[in-house]
Amino acid sequence: MKWIEIYKVSDTMKKGHISNILNKGKVFISLIILVFCILGAVVFFIAKQISEEMSASAIENLSESLELISSTIETVLYKEAEFQQLIADEAATFDDPEKLILSYNQNSTMTKISLIAAGEQTGISNTGDIFTTEELDFSAGFKIQNLQVSKSYLNDMGTWAYTMKCPIKKGKLEIASLYIEYIYDSFDQAMPDKLYNNHATLYIMDAKSKRFLLKPKGIGEREAGHLNLDDFYNANSILEPQIQTDIAEYIENGDNVMFYHKIKNEDSLIYMWSVNDGSLYLIGYVPVTAIQREGSAVNKNIFFVVAIMMIAFFICCGIYFLNNRIQSKIRQEREHEREIYNKQLAEALQTAQIANNSKTTFLSNMSHDIRTPMNAILGFTTLLAKDADNPDKVREYLKKIAASGQHLLSLINDILDISKIESGKVALTIGEFTLNDLVTSVDAIIRPAAKAKNQTFFVTVVGIKHEYLIGDETRINQILINLLSNAVKYTPEGGHIWFRIIGLEQHSSQFEHIRIEVEDDGYGMTPEYLSIIFDSFTRAENSTTNKIQGTGLGMAITKNIVELMGGTIEVSSKVNVGSLFTVDLELRIQNETVDENFWKTHGIFRILAVDDEEAICKNIQILMEDSGVKVDIAFNGNEALQQIQDVYRQGGQYNVILLDWQMPDMNGIETAKQIRTVISDDIPILFLTAYDWEDIEAEALRAGIDGFFAKPFFVAAFKEKILAFHAGRHIDDIPQQNTNSLEGKTFLVAEDNEINAEILSEILSVEGASCEIAVNGQLVLERFQNAAPGEFDAILMDVQMPVMNGYEATKAIRSLQREDAKNVPIIAMTANAFAEDIKEALHSGMNAHLSKPIDVAVLKETIQNFL
Amino acid sequence: MQKPLKKIAVLLTIGALTLTACGQKPDITENLADNTKTDKKQILLFGPMEKSAPNASNTARTAHDLTVLMAEERLDLVVEYRTYTAENYQEKTYDEVTLDRARHNMDDLYLLNPDVIHTLGIEGKLADLSSLDCVKNLRDVVKTANTVNGKLVAIPQEVVAYGLFVNKDMFDQYDLQLPETPEEFMECCRVFKENGIETPIGANRWWLETFVFAQAFADLYNGDNTDAEIAALNSGEAKYSDYLRPGFEYLQELIDKEYIDAKTAYTYEAIEGEGPDFMAQKTPIVMAYWGAANTDTAYGSPDFNMQVIGFPSNRGQMPVIPITGYGVSANAEHLEDSMDVLDVILSDEALELYSQTNRVISPSKNVASNCIPALKPLNDRIEEGIYVLASNANLKMEQWGNICLLVRDLLNGSSVDDCMAKLDQLQEESLQN
Repeated sequence: MKWIEIYKVSDTMKKGHISNILNKGKVFISLIILVFCILGAVVFFIAKQISEEMSASAIENLSESLELISSTIETVLYKEAEFQQLIADEAATFDDPEKLILSYNQNSTMTKISLIAAGEQTGISNTGDIFTTEELDFSAGFKIQNLQVSKSYLNDMGTWAYTMKCPIKKGKLEIASLYIEYIYDSFDQAMPDKLYNNHATLYIMDAKSKRFLLKPKGIGEREAGHLNLDDFYNANSILEPQIQTDIAEYIENGDNVMFYHKIKNEDSLIYMWSVNDGSLYLIGYVPVTAIQREGSAVNKNIFFVVAIMMIAFFICCGIYFLNNRIQSKIRQEREHEREIYNKQLAEALQTAQIANNSKTTFLSNMSHDIRTPMNAILGFTTLLAKDADNPDKVREYLKKIAASGQHLLSLINDILDISKIESGKVALTIGEFTLNDLVTSVDAIIRPAAKAKNQTFFVTVVGIKHEYLIGDETRINQILINLLSNAVKYTPEGGHIWFRIIGLEQHSSQFEHIRIEVEDDGYGMTPEYLSIIFDSFTRAENSTTNKIQGTGLGMAITKNIVELMGGTIEVSSKVNVGSLFTVDLELRIQNETVDENFWKTHGIFRILAVDDEEAICKNIQILMEDSGVKVDIAFNGNEALQQIQDVYRQGGQYNVILLDWQMPDMNGIETAKQIRTVISDDIPILFLTAYDWEDIEAEALRAGIDGFFAKPFFVAAFKEKILAFHAGRHIDDIPQQNTNSLEGKTFLVAEDNEINAEILSEILSVEGASCEIAVNGQLVLERFQNAAPGEFDAILMDVQMPVMNGYEATKAIRSLQREDAKNVPIIAMTANAFAEDIKEALHSGMNAHLSKPIDVAVLKETIQNFL
Repeated sequence: MQKPLKKIAVLLTIGALTLTACGQKPDITENLADNTKTDKKQILLFGPMEKSAPNASNTARTAHDLTVLMAEERLDLVVEYRTYTAENYQEKTYDEVTLDRARHNMDDLYLLNPDVIHTLGIEGKLADLSSLDCVKNLRDVVKTANTVNGKLVAIPQEVVAYGLFVNKDMFDQYDLQLPETPEEFMECCRVFKENGIETPIGANRWWLETFVFAQAFADLYNGDNTDAEIAALNSGEAKYSDYLRPGFEYLQELIDKEYIDAKTAYTYEAIEGEGPDFMAQKTPIVMAYWGAANTDTAYGSPDFNMQVIGFPSNRGQMPVIPITGYGVSANAEHLEDSMDVLDVILSDEALELYSQTNRVISPSKNVASNCIPALKPLNDRIEEGIYVLASNANLKMEQWGNICLLVRDLLNGSSVDDCMAKLDQLQEESLQN
């Protein structure tokens, strides 16, 4: 509760903190927006101010430019007038002024100089032509320097011109009038070449006629050569009557005009500038953008600088926020990592606690489990001492002591095994083996156990293509024994156990893919237990409350071995229904040479397999596939008889008949009898049965059966039976090898433990053998060196010894320059019972390995093999 | 978190310092005046202009400008325009002003009408263009029309063909076929008039002569005896009045029947006067040059089905071709440069550009004509080789200008006989020259 409250308080604080951050963020953003608004307003105000000032300045500049052009034109006009006055004054000094006129040549300004004497209607021009004033119109009343100026007109040169009239006076008497024609083309020089970089247009207009007289060169505008003011209005869409009326009024008064108007969709400034008191007008327009270039440039630069600053600011903000975000992300990730780490720590702690608990429980169990047989051993030993005189009781006590000892041993083996596996030190011992041997050995162990509990044990092999395989037979055996012994253990009396080996589809032609199924209809397991079944130190029931004993390591060992072999193990179970263990393994196939000759040599070409189970028949066919032997099948006795008769009728025969014992309608015995009436005695009939045949052996032999072999069918087993048959012996009369003949043998024993040495010595003496004990490897070596050749039949070598261990001693003995040093059997007898130990023992030069405690039967068998 | 901000601050400071360092104070000894002078040669080109209409573009001028631009770029000079158009009929005509200016050597280049070409050619005011590279590409008809006294004095950028611009929708409305002969044309006018069309033919003071040329010279130019007939006219054995009288009489009939309003026609400038009524579908027939069908300032975008056909003649619809052209003043200040400009703007490349832009008949035999659907009837006739020339320098008497003035007299009330008498006099004067 406290934690929750703290969390809640912390959560509230966190929320408060976040809320604060958000509020601060909002305030910060609001401040930024406010600053930018103010900045924007200031910039806008400044830009507007600059724009207005620049605009005013631009208009002023334009006005000044127009004024300058206007003044220049006026100056030209004044100079023309002054010049004309000078000529007039000079002419007045001539008796015949016409002579002076005729002396003038036409030039680019004055195209015609004419004179009309006072009172005359016609006069003379400098070209010699007659001159009249008929075509000259001075009615407008414009004057330059008091000289009358005519209305503009198109002269005989095809260009626009005007004429000034100047009186020629002698004293106060006006004797003639001087007319000089000037052309507007002469104003070309006064006009700017590139007014506003050719963006501006400029015409000279006659105020009276509104006719455009000059389009100065260099102003572009090829599209329309404007004819007059109306044409200008039309071309530039200045069609508002009010504007036109106002302009007309201004022009009438000789005032300057300047106004804004859109021309070709562009804001433009239209100007009409009075020249010479309004007799002429400079007319044109310029786009506003052209005259406000400076203002625009300044504003552009201001906006550019502001934009750069804003971009820089936003980049800084971006970097700041990005950095913040990255830091926050890193912080979050670290927190997350810390949480995960804490969680992992908590889990590890929990696991450790569980493991600790398990180990505690395990130790408790072990304590109990070890103490139980130990208690039995010690108890019976005490009883043995008391009842030493009673041989029956002694035997009974010894039997119980031995059973307890065996149990204790299996406990120790399992503990050592799991310890080895978990430390990763276990290694597989790969070798060749046959499924037949595997199944036979397992069957030999499990069947009696099952039988003891009155359980039915079924063994089935289906779909296996190859029975000669490569793998760690011992470990596979261990897996099977673990699973099957558990099945026996956890299945009540009268239950059923199924052991199946199923051939699965091969992933590779070099590997046999097999599935091992161990099924029972026993107690089953709870789902909770199923989830931890493969963990170490677990048992279905607490051994202190359950009579079933075990180390709780078997399943863990099994799983580890399976995984070590690259296989998988699965289990499904239901309480009071049963369990099913499934192990999938892939085992390399031996490079078996198809021994077709074996069958040919023994005259076997065709056999008949009779079994009511089709799967078994098929299995025989599959396994015999590569043998070259044709396998016919029959599912009952009658069918078998019929087939045998048919084959005979066709001139053929079966060389071997495999017969199931229990079949519907007609059992194996009866069928064999019937068959024997058809076939000769030299054709073997073999019983293939899942049952103990001891009960039916006599009856079967009478019925003509030549031998038995256990289901499932294996080629190897079949071959053995055939060999035995052809050896002329009764197939099942193979004599048991006598392994009890240690009589008269002498052994050199290396054993540093006195008790063990004594036990061994006693065992050997019981078997009629003698031994000499050496307490370390060095002594063994020396003793052997000093021994006469053949003095010792074998050396039994402990491994862990002081001075020199067993391996070194063996190597030293093998390296001795004695004939028997190479051949004398050296057998390891050690508590180092792992596969690696066996391997190392063999590697050092020993012939065999026996693990302690010594099983007398195994000891005898092993020694016998080397003697 | 602090480090990046510091780095940014340092970078900004360095940037600001760099910008400050870049702002240099100008050297006081530096001459800030712009001494670059425009020393490009300026070629003066005198040409006509038209009254401006807002938002209207003149395709022909655009096409011409493109070729001039080409010349300016290639020759590194500037072509300056001088323009003139009479404000009203009382003012000097463009041709008159052109004559004045050419005679006073006011310009380098001139865009000339056929009569002015003839007049200035006779007067020796125009330079011989025979040596230009572009001449070898010209169609014979162009060279024939503009060769005066053995000199090729003008070359056009387009062969200007005149035709009747008709409102086909109105013809269809009154179930009228497009006329082939003068009689059929007269009948069409009658029907229009009877149906309330006050003036079936929109006319100006310039182009009514095309009716006369079509009727007068249809046989001369499309018969088998062209050279002999021209020789007879040049020797005085044959009279122009004999050829032209039917056309004048025909015009007189059109005027008498009020199919043409002589008074307004006499005062109308080309297109400006009669154009608006035609575009407003008040007048079904006008006459104009080929390019008028392509430009928005003329008849470029009508709201009706416009067709351009030849003028009525006894040989069917007859296109009338006066050859205009650019001429160079013989005394031009920039004679050689002007010749170079002409060589560029009349090159096949320039004419191709011009023809593509303006969609006209090119004077170069190497440039295919480009015609809009409305012009197809006229173009078909020209492609067949059927047309009459309205100007021909081989004829001693100038045609295009003189006949125009005579037609104007007719419009102004002179009788056909008076006009023919003047014509005889003009022929007489030409024979004396």
